[in-house]
Amino acid sequence: MSRRIVITGLGAVTPAGVGAAALAAAVREGRSAVGPITRFDASRHPSRVAGQAPDFDPSEGVRKEQGRYIKKNIKVMALDIQLAVAAVNLAVLDSGLPPGDPKAGQAVLPTIDHARLGMVFGTSFIPTELDDLAAPIQAAQGADGQFTLKGWGERGIAQMFPLWLLKYLPNMHACHAGILWDAQGPSNSLTTSDAGGLLAVDEAARIIRRGHADWMLAGGAESRVHPVLVLRYCLANRLATANSIPAAACRPFDLDRTGAVAAEGAAAVMLEAADVAEKRGARIYGEVLGTGAGTTTAGINACDADGRAVATAVRRALAAAAVQPADLGAIVAHGTAFAPQDSSEAAGLRAALGPAAETVPVTAIKGVTGNMGAAGGAAELVVALLLLGGGRVPPILNCSRPDPAAGLNLVVGRAAPLRSDLVLVTSNAVGGQAAAAVVRIKK
Amino acid sequence: MKRRVVITGIGSVTPLGLSVEETWRNLIAGKSGIRPIAIFDAGTFPTTFAAQVPDFDLAPYVRNPGEFRKAGRNVRFAMAAARQAVDDAGLAAGRFDPERTGIYMGSGEGALDFFTLCQSVAHGTGPDGKVSAAGFAEMGFKRYDAICELEQEPNMPANHLAAEYGICGPTYSCLTACAASTQAVGEAMDLLRIGELDTVIAGGTHSMIHPLGVTGFNLLTAISTGPKDQPWRASRPFDRDRAGFVLGEGSTVMILENLEHARARGAKIRAELTGYGSSTDAYRMTDIHPEGRGPAAAIRMALQDAGVRPEDVDYISAHGTGTQENDKVETLTVKLVFGPHAHKVPISSVKSTLGHLIAAAGATELMTCVLAIRDQVLPPTMNLETPDPQCDLDYVPNAARKARVEVCLSNSFGFGGQNDSLVVRRFVP
Repeated sequence: MSRRIVITGLGAVTPAGVGAAALAAAVREGRSAVGPITRFDASRHPSRVAGQAPDFDPSEGVRKEQGRYIKKNIKVMALDIQLAVAAVNLAVLDSGLPPGDPKAGQAVLPTIDHARLGMVFGTSFIPTELDDLAAPIQAAQGADGQFTLKGWGERGIAQMFPLWLLKYLPNMHACHAGILWDAQGPSNSLTTSDAGGLLAVDEAARIIRRGHADWMLAGGAESRVHPVLVLRYCLANRLATANSIPAAACRPFDLDRTGAVAAEGAAAVMLEAADVAEKRGARIYGEVLGTGAGTTTAGINACDADGRAVATAVRRALAAAAVQPADLGAIVAHGTAFAPQDSSEAAGLRAALGPAAETVPVTAIKGVTGNMGAAGGAAELVVALLLLGGGRVPPILNCSRPDPAAGLNLVVGRAAPLRSDLVLVTSNAVGGQAAAAVVRIKK
Repeated sequence: MKRRVVITGIGSVTPLGLSVEETWRNLIAGKSGIRPIAIFDAGTFPTTFAAQVPDFDLAPYVRNPGEFRKAGRNVRFAMAAARQAVDDAGLAAGRFDPERTGIYMGSGEGALDFFTLCQSVAHGTGPDGKVSAAGFAEMGFKRYDAICELEQEPNMPANHLAAEYGICGPTYSCLTACAASTQAVGEAMDLLRIGELDTVIAGGTHSMIHPLGVTGFNLLTAISTGPKDQPWRASRPFDRDRAGFVLGEGSTVMILENLEHARARGAKIRAELTGYGSSTDAYRMTDIHPEGRGPAAAIRMALQDAGVRPEDVDYISAHGTGTQENDKVETLTVKLVFGPHAHKVPISSVKSTLGHLIAAAGATELMTCVLAIRDQVLPPTMNLETPDPQCDLDYVPNAARKARVEVCLSNSFGFGGQNDSLVVRRFVP
């Protein structure tokens, strides 16, 4: 029999604040964390609103020497990586695994075998901070002010920060978090855009099932509040341009949506083999019953009209969990508010759920957070585990005129009752991967 | 019950050839793929050479070449390698069950438009040396192209493959630096073992032979800078005078199937994948654990997973980058895991001639293991001229060698501490 997998720790740093509780509270209260972009001068970007991460200290709550490591290495951690480290720290601390005493020469988590602790993270190829290139480019320019590769080689490279490459590699989240928590088990970094966080949960669960680990940190981290990325997604016409009221800018499944909102954050969950968690008397937030994945065949900048990618992921997750669509208590959808993505997701949910699509309450949280990319799916899982247990499914913020074409039981205006303790979470990337997870939450 | 997993098709484009057989022939002949960089003007860079894939026409490999006009080298390589693998496996496009087939690629980034980036940054740089995002955007919105930008995202090879072959099943893309495609094949193997899928298109693709890639590695002093006039001598795994790796590029893609599925369709079986291990150093950001703790754990896990003892292993395809640190620690690790057998098992590094294909390295090296089993010959470690007392194992120096090869271990150790090992063996029904 395959091992059951439970969730014993939650960590998040999102535009709604530091900690999983801050995210859950903002979603419950319908408080948008989307504001005008202040990280950089976005006056020439058509989309000027974003969900920005709050000020946070990635060493909050950790042991002194862990704090020292973070302080020493912060200059080689792009914001994405700092967010990931902070979320992992929170998830480990929340899991109740007691940290050891370094003075007594104890391991960082003395009650576990560190070779049995691993992590899978949804990450992305991180664009360089523009300031890192300014001086080297100036140095590379010739007397005529023209940039040449010849000048770059002769004078530019020497002006670069020597560890520049390490600051941006998409596997450094796991590298640093692994060092901090002495996680010597399997680790992977999935670069599957919006689907990364939930696919990380899918793969991490598989690693525990095959017996290669007992604890897996799974989640995602990404900052899309970056001049290059806002430019990229503006060029692809995916971002909201209704800048006047930032809190109302991201409108999932709403008739008046104008696009997604760039955001940033990280979320991580501690997955643990149920036998191990029960033995140590861990607090259990829920159980991962099944996960699934799918892919669009529509092309790299398109969503399939019939929602095949999402439908495939959801069908697989339901089958793995042995759950019938009608038994679902709620759905936390991806809902970016980019119209083709919303309609593809709705079509996929209808195809996979059949008649149950009209009855199971569907919510989405991006009206609160914006689109945190690879962090989104993990953050949505955190909301499912922490908030829905209260028995209420929060409404979709800013969905005031629900798109009737969605054909879903969208929760609007006020919270709806949770129909059962089985929650489906879905993610999908434009032109790429879709992921789904069915979890049983503690009520 | 775990299902058995077999390799039924292989495709590859590397600096040594545009097909599996061409690459293999050149590897065995000890030919080097390392030349002066022609992709961009690297004349004034600290490193001026790399192992580049020869120019080729994508048209024979894809349905609609126009869709790839703005794709990066990584995507082009992957499309060519995947088509070869699909053909090799005898799978036409219509013969995939779209929901029972998956994709797992270890992929790097697509082509970054360095000139546009630099021009836009320069335009936005103020007298204080800080870049105004508004100034950057003013130029950027005129120069940047939406599709070129999207093509940089590392899941693009997987996304293009899904669209090309109509695959709507699970697809993954990972980027654990130099270990990525070993990890991709390993995780794909698990998906097949547990019956989640029947077929997976798995492998790696990458090119970091672009200005920022070479810059980044030069800054870290990870890549070799000479001899400039004899670049084929620059990659010297296990040699005393080794001074860093040489960047390569390319893609290797395999068709993996569970045995029942392969048998049911009468597929030709190339080899069987029997073991996978994955670990993390959790030691330091750039240094490897001095006793090779992480790599040893990955190798042990892979051997145990395959149910083989160290003395059953006939050949090790080394990570063998040619950096002082890697080769020393890898040697130590092999001794640690293999004990007295360490001196008997041949080890070689194809990076001596192929260069380091980064995210594509692992799958390419796994391919060489499959071919070693087929032809009973081991590829050499070239440029091993001056022995290093700290590297005192049998590295198959400077010439290919006939050998009995049934079971192979392929190692990849990523920058950042991700270690992955695979065990592949001759298929015996």
